[in-house]
Amino acid sequence: MSGITTKQIIEDGLWTNNPVFVQLLGMCPLLGVTTTAENGIGMGLASTGVLLGSNVVVSLVRNYIPTQVRIPSYIIIIASFVTIIDLTMNAYVHDLHKTLGLFIPLIVVNCAILGRAEAFASKQNLSKAALDGIFSGLGFTLSLFVLGGVRELLGSGQFLGFTIFGEGFHPAIGFILPPGAFIALGFILMVVKWIDQKREEAAERREANQPPVPTDASQPEGAAAS
Amino acid sequence: MPEFIKMGVTLMIVGAVATAVLAATEMVTREPIKEAKRLEILRALTQVLPEGFDNAPDNDTVQMIDKRLNRKETPVTFYRARKSGSTLGAAFVVTAPDGYSGDIDIMIAVNPQEILTGVQVVAHKETPGLGDKVVLTDWPDKFRGKTLDNAKWGVKKDGGEFDQFAGATITPRAIVAAVKRGLEMFKDHKESILSPRTEAVPPAKK
Repeated sequence: MSGITTKQIIEDGLWTNNPVFVQLLGMCPLLGVTTTAENGIGMGLASTGVLLGSNVVVSLVRNYIPTQVRIPSYIIIIASFVTIIDLTMNAYVHDLHKTLGLFIPLIVVNCAILGRAEAFASKQNLSKAALDGIFSGLGFTLSLFVLGGVRELLGSGQFLGFTIFGEGFHPAIGFILPPGAFIALGFILMVVKWIDQKREEAAERREANQPPVPTDASQPEGAAAS
Repeated sequence: MPEFIKMGVTLMIVGAVATAVLAATEMVTREPIKEAKRLEILRALTQVLPEGFDNAPDNDTVQMIDKRLNRKETPVTFYRARKSGSTLGAAFVVTAPDGYSGDIDIMIAVNPQEILTGVQVVAHKETPGLGDKVVLTDWPDKFRGKTLDNAKWGVKKDGGEFDQFAGATITPRAIVAAVKRGLEMFKDHKESILSPRTEAVPPAKK
């Protein structure tokens, strides 16, 4: 793990180990705010800021914190960054802050952030931890944006606030409500798995230069979510 | 040093540093947050109050307490709009306690003839895509020009004249009722709301 390259960190954060699509972490803000694509981006970038800050600080203090108290220490660090982001957004992007409202303080309990601090930043040097913070955050933002976009499109017939479908389109309100988030996420995960499988097959074909063998890459979704 | 002391000291240091950083952030952002909130109120005020006032309504205020404005009986600020001394109207926030999820704060403006000049929802937690249409559409414009006597107060489902939304009746119903309560309260206390004095008025005894 210590020998991880920059390219790997970027790929992991954005795709192969995406906090939402692969690790299925951070479901609470995911389901809560992704009613529109814009909210998704706002929430994603706020979380990225917190991830970057907490990863950097956790990496800096990793040799001074006794193992037994590392979790409470990380939580304090994360909570501090969340409060800083909360106050800063309230001061300078007041309208977005109002839309996201309660979900900004809730970034504290986003286990994706503690997950990165514990699994990555506490074992890596500063630059790698910072890079991981940025790209895990962007991966999180990407997934929030996709889910927000799908729900906005199906649930209110708009995308980023612009009406896409005409009067004849009857929006499926369910997609705006919490159950719609689960349904949309399930289908998005299916597409993600499908793309992964295609990529794997293509890689194998390149390697062996022979007809692809059907791979069994399908992991049961329920097992991953638990 | 024994392990447990080291743990305690580490946590203490982490906590102290975090506190210091947060205190500094709070100090830096306090003024901008205040300014952002003031601008927000001003924007809402210009949208609901009659056009053409030449005073600063956020500086010409009076506070009153009334059960009809909010159930907690917290003081409500009345922002008065005037033009060269004559009163154009007053804007104030009514809280509807019976929204679909939590309180809905509605800023309403009334002129001295007890006619509504504007209604704006300023804070709510209604369901995105359903109840929040009261903010995203021009639904509140229907209130303009209404008085206690010239409108049938209620949503269409209840025999009134205000539209509800497909899938969202509770939110408009709560808002219509709250606006009506605000109008009634204004009618009863018009004199003290619009008079130029600025000190708080004690709650009206019933």
